[in-house]
Amino acid sequence: MTRAPVVFVVDDDPSVRSSLKFLINSVGLQVESFESAETFLQRKPPDAPSCLVADVRLRGLSGLDFQRELAARNIPIPIVFVTGHGDIPMSVRAMKAGAIEFLTKPYRDQDLLDAVRIALERDRTRREQEKDLTDLRQRFDSLTPREQEVISMVVSGMLNKQIAGELRTAENTVKVHRSRAMAKMSAQSFADLVRMIEKLKGPAKKAS
Amino acid sequence: MTQSAKSKREVQLEDSIPEAGAPLESILCTEELRGRPSRPPDYEKENRAFVALMSALADSPSTIFQTLAETILDITQCDSAGLSLLTRDGKKPDVCGKRFYWPAIAGMWNPHVGGGTPRNFGPCGDVLDQNRTLLFRHFERRYPYLMPVIPAAEECLLVPFYVAGQAVGTIWAITHSDRHKFDAEDDRVMASLGKFASSAYQALGHIEDLKFQVVEREKAEAAVRELANGLEAKFRCLVDANIMGIFIWTLEGRIVDANEAFLHIVEYDREDLVSGRMRWTDLTPPEWHDRDEHAVAELKALGSAKPYEKEYLQKGGNRVPVLVGGALFEEGRNEGVAFVLDLSEQKRAQENWKEAQQALQMTQVELARVSRLTTMGELAASIAHEVNQPLTAVTNNSNACLRLLAARNLEPEVLRRALEEIVADSTRASAVLARIRAFIKKTPGERQELDINEVIQEVLALARLEFSDNRVLLELQLTKALPPVLADRVQLQQVLLNLIMNGIEAMNAVTDRPRLLWVRSGIDESGDVLVAVGDLGTGLGLEPDRVFTPFFTTKANGMGMGLPISRSLIEGHGGRLWTTPNDPHGAVFSLTLPVAAGSP
Repeated sequence: MTRAPVVFVVDDDPSVRSSLKFLINSVGLQVESFESAETFLQRKPPDAPSCLVADVRLRGLSGLDFQRELAARNIPIPIVFVTGHGDIPMSVRAMKAGAIEFLTKPYRDQDLLDAVRIALERDRTRREQEKDLTDLRQRFDSLTPREQEVISMVVSGMLNKQIAGELRTAENTVKVHRSRAMAKMSAQSFADLVRMIEKLKGPAKKAS
Repeated sequence: MTQSAKSKREVQLEDSIPEAGAPLESILCTEELRGRPSRPPDYEKENRAFVALMSALADSPSTIFQTLAETILDITQCDSAGLSLLTRDGKKPDVCGKRFYWPAIAGMWNPHVGGGTPRNFGPCGDVLDQNRTLLFRHFERRYPYLMPVIPAAEECLLVPFYVAGQAVGTIWAITHSDRHKFDAEDDRVMASLGKFASSAYQALGHIEDLKFQVVEREKAEAAVRELANGLEAKFRCLVDANIMGIFIWTLEGRIVDANEAFLHIVEYDREDLVSGRMRWTDLTPPEWHDRDEHAVAELKALGSAKPYEKEYLQKGGNRVPVLVGGALFEEGRNEGVAFVLDLSEQKRAQENWKEAQQALQMTQVELARVSRLTTMGELAASIAHEVNQPLTAVTNNSNACLRLLAARNLEPEVLRRALEEIVADSTRASAVLARIRAFIKKTPGERQELDINEVIQEVLALARLEFSDNRVLLELQLTKALPPVLADRVQLQQVLLNLIMNGIEAMNAVTDRPRLLWVRSGIDESGDVLVAVGDLGTGLGLEPDRVFTPFFTTKANGMGMGLPISRSLIEGHGGRLWTTPNDPHGAVFSLTLPVAAGSP
């Protein structure tokens, strides 16, 4: 990842907001702060690993509504909630909806910073996975239709001879398609190729 | 002559729009009647005509008009003859009618029976206006809507027709060709026959009225009889149902008859009644005799006595509370009926009710205590947040400094700014704590001289978060230098906080106007200190005072105790708490407190 991670702080209390910024800055992380969920939503999603530190009791859009809104807008940013007096049902809801941590003030600074690190790490991983998948798809898309066809059959366990019979072509032709496809996909081995195709299939299945 | 539905031609004259036709003079030739050679009166024929009319009157009075038309046709030798009557309802002659109705026509125009002309646009109207006989020639030249009525009229002789001295119509005769012309004799004989028919008609009317009256009277009598029978039956039902005690008495004191319910109330049995031993005067304890005499006087004067409470002595000597009312059967007689309700149950219930009231009061005191604790609990949550915010900031800033220090990366300028913030946040936290201490420290029931504005400010500070959380704006109008009130600080805070919280809550659903809550302080006309809290919420509806009834609530999670308790607290201070609608939205809660004695 080329760009430095960013922590977004959303809190309507100015002292809390600026002190959180100071605290997170002190461990060398970049911070941007917002006084409400609405002002944060106006910002373009960053092209870097990032996470949110937000108060559950926000003026305007509350923390939990904020979380829902982010999900609705397909912004998969990890959230660390802090609150003055959160109850158990509230924290359960937040965690179920994917929050990284639900901290009650006063919290230990280490707990908050750990939660922020976990959140950033998770976002980084997600981004990498997303990027891998994008690369993989690009590579797969660069195959010719016939190569894609041959690869699918190979992965499903058919022998070259069987594929040649199915496609009514010479076994050698199949071999050529297969080796070209392997090269284009940058697959080191047959097993590597199978993993790649499974990965491509995975999210596609979910989406359907 | 008969009129069959087939031959009858409907002519909708009103539908034809009368146009300015020829002037009246141009179609009148009444004066010609005098000049024309007149035939001698045929009295014999005229008498026969009278006889015909009379027998019509005797046999079937309703045909009198048709008989008149036919008689005129016969005597004048015209082609069509008939009668036009002004009418409002299409039946009875009426001077004020707007339209002429043709109840009878003989001759060629007979199919038009039932038709008519408007009052102001026809030959009949002109005759009535001039109140004399008129002779028309080709009247359709003036009244264009008569054009479609066929065969067309050559000459038309119209004579006014009187009922009870008033001209309410005309008798007319028409020729459809010039073979015959009307003369003075036609005028005379028509007027003569008309006069007779008119008298006959009036007589007929009287007879009909009389018949109607007889029928009505019979009906009324039947109704009275039925009512009387019904009443008797109903009364009997009432007696036998034993829903209440009923007895028949004489003014002298005898009980002639009584139902089971009455005997049950006074615990006598039927033998006592039959033997004639029971006297209502004996059933009444001495101290009630005066009240009974009053009732007897009322009975004699008015025929009935309003129900009143008294006691009866039961056979065993016990007293039973009752409600008694009575009525004389007929004026002048000394017999009547009395209705008796046993009040023992009600009296017992009243006693129970008093006890229940006391219990309720106890509960209210208890609830007031619980409510105060609950409010304190809610406040505690609010306060925790209030204190937590600055403490969190202090902790964050300090921790950041420690980390930078450990990394040997703490710039003096950064440290200075952090320390400044730490000081500001610490001050903020201790201010909140000071407010809480002031709120809690005061022991309940401790009255002291208070500046109401100060109390309002304290409460607003406590409710600050509620305002921001609910996005409610505050408008504060405090009158300066108000005289002090003698009050319990906590109770007063409790009441004000309750009113403010209610106002904020009442605006939860408001989205189409600002959520504004105003708090005002001042002095009212009587010199008391006044505080009013107004909101732009949903209001309290038609009976705003209901909100002071315990357990009444307009809130989903309300207990319905806040306002009743608030009112009792304020009243406990000698003040008042009430509500009025806020125009055009919401409600205003106002409270007054007397100024502390000794202050100006």
